[in-house]
Amino acid sequence: MVRLVFLGKFGDVAPPGLAEISLPGDVHTLGDLQHWLARQQPLLGQAMAATRTRLILNQCVTHDLSCPVADGDEVAFLPPMSGG
Amino acid sequence: MRITQQAFDPQREVAAFTAGRDDAGALVSFVGYCRASTDGAAVQELRIDHYPGFTEKEIARLAEEVSRRFECPELLVVHRVGVIRPGEAIVLVAALSVHRANGFEAVRVLMDYLKTDAPLWKKESGPDGARWIEPRPEDHARRMQAEKGRT
Repeated sequence: MVRLVFLGKFGDVAPPGLAEISLPGDVHTLGDLQHWLARQQPLLGQAMAATRTRLILNQCVTHDLSCPVADGDEVAFLPPMSGG
Repeated sequence: MRITQQAFDPQREVAAFTAGRDDAGALVSFVGYCRASTDGAAVQELRIDHYPGFTEKEIARLAEEVSRRFECPELLVVHRVGVIRPGEAIVLVAALSVHRANGFEAVRVLMDYLKTDAPLWKKESGPDGARWIEPRPEDHARRMQAEKGRT
């Protein structure tokens, strides 16, 4: 299972059932995961496409969408931050 | 640093932070409050989301950077998350330093960093609905200015 975290406005459009998913067979990287989510959840896909989206893998910032994703990982999707 | 769901009393936090300290010559503190209106629109509540673990780590990293840069070893950051009502404190930043100049700069720059770089997401709700807030251009400008001043 992979744990998904949607922050800010992404949390408004991500269904609660998406918190933990079994990794689909054709999803191997962060980029694959983002595309798969956009296909499964068009509203979420639109929200992510409309703004700058940062991905955090296991609590570490990553800019590399070719990073592999595996069972036990946690992936967070961050819209632009509001700041403190 | 501390992230809290509970309302906090900035004066009590500062009193605990300074208790027993006779080695510092200056205390500088800043408190940000939830306003009852933004750009003329009423605000009934503010909701702040955070990413547990990551948000704490990032704010601690920013505070450590400012602490080193201004030779200001003692910094306090308390940040509210969850639902906040107008008049309640959102953020407290305080610095204990030997002289006042470093304390003022440390608090100002750390707040500039927090306004743009802290992994927090704010949603304002009022009679006309709710909206997510992103940093204003002037916040980014101050952040750039703070970055330029790095030595």
